[in-house]
Amino acid sequence: MFRPGHNRHDLRELADEDLMELVREGDARAFEVVFDRHGGVAFSLAYRMCGSSARAEDVVQDAFVSLWRSGARYDRARGSVRSWILSTVHNRAIDSFRRESARHGQDVHDERLAELVPAATTTEAEVQQRDDAHRVRTALAQLPPDQRRVIELAYFGGFTHTQISEMLELPAGTVKGRMRLGLAKLRGSLSAGGLTP
Amino acid sequence: MSERHGPVHDCGGDAAAYVLGALEPAEAEAFRGHLLECVVCRDEVETLAGVVQALPMSAPQHAAPRRLRRRLLRAIREQPPSRAATAGRPASRRRLRPATLLGAAAGAAAAVAAAVLIALGGGPGATLSRVIRASVSGVSGSVQLRISAEHGELVARHLSAPPPGHVYEVWLKPAGSGPRPASVLFTVNRDGFADVSIPASLRGITAVMVTPEPAGGSPVPTHAPVIVASVA
Ligand SMILES: [Zn+2]
Repeated sequence: MFRPGHNRHDLRELADEDLMELVREGDARAFEVVFDRHGGVAFSLAYRMCGSSARAEDVVQDAFVSLWRSGARYDRARGSVRSWILSTVHNRAIDSFRRESARHGQDVHDERLAELVPAATTTEAEVQQRDDAHRVRTALAQLPPDQRRVIELAYFGGFTHTQISEMLELPAGTVKGRMRLGLAKLRGSLSAGGLTP
Repeated sequence: MSERHGPVHDCGGDAAAYVLGALEPAEAEAFRGHLLECVVCRDEVETLAGVVQALPMSAPQHAAPRRLRRRLLRAIREQPPSRAATAGRPASRRRLRPATLLGAAAGAAAAVAAAVLIALGGGPGATLSRVIRASVSGVSGSVQLRISAEHGELVARHLSAPPPGHVYEVWLKPAGSGPRPASVLFTVNRDGFADVSIPASLRGITAVMVTPEPAGGSPVPTHAPVIVASVA
């Protein structure tokens, strides 16, 4: 829809949910703003999962094209557009793992790492995001390594608990138990920091 | 996690593995069945899903590569949503305010409403092939799945809004396996209307389902479906 009143600057003032209304109407500039807001965290998640910049870019491209095409409607609840994007990226990365017969673990990184640019922290939102990231990383780092490892292998690696117990040579049931303890502990430290409901 | 008093209910700790997507497909299927009956596990899934949503932030944060931005913006400019999401229909159809147009038909009997929908989408060159009435349970309203070629669109009327803090999430169920996310979240407008395009192909899909999920959606269903449209 033609909206002569919106220039790029105005668009940057809009909340995600308002931008998504415009995206639904086919406003490519609104979409660009959504990407500039969430493309970095989306790419970072994909890169962490895929370990290759080229694959991460494909995953993010897929996820955002589907956002563009689906015209999904959003609740005006906080952060939902971002969560939707991240969960789409996560699903797409796992799909791409499953399509590939021989895959590397999530610790493999390619040579392009040197080309990657750290996320900017110039706006207030970016600073907030950096602080949130720091808090999540700290909370994860404080978990007992056994618990952190299974959570990371499952979430970032896309492995099932059975695969993880084979990899780590643990009895069945132990992996699930560690996931449970680890997530519960993480929940404790994140809610103390106001990061989860 | 808050201390939980009262009877200890140990469900084997599947909730954590489930929200991490780490259950085997058959286990996940069984656990989804269990969730329908077990409020303790439902509660745990909802709580832990919030933790899992924070995990992406723990990855080292990079800027999106310029190359990716260029490629993506080129792709979307070549593929406007009015064509992509509603393939086979006149492009102008999507520009109409569906809420206004279809709102007029909302009070009509389902069969009449379906006819109106077909008329709206059925201009020259349109390929609307089927309109399926979905079964709706636990919420009020009516929902239709419209299929053009391999693509579907859910049209809801007078549908209850999802609970506060929740959205509706669409799932595609292939024959012989559990539902997978269609990557579509939606809610309804004030009149209970929604018009939702499903980007993925419906080839090999036996049912399109909708569950209420926490805002932001869930990688796996955490509630019983409230809308089921059988495609087969
Ligand atoms: Zn239970």
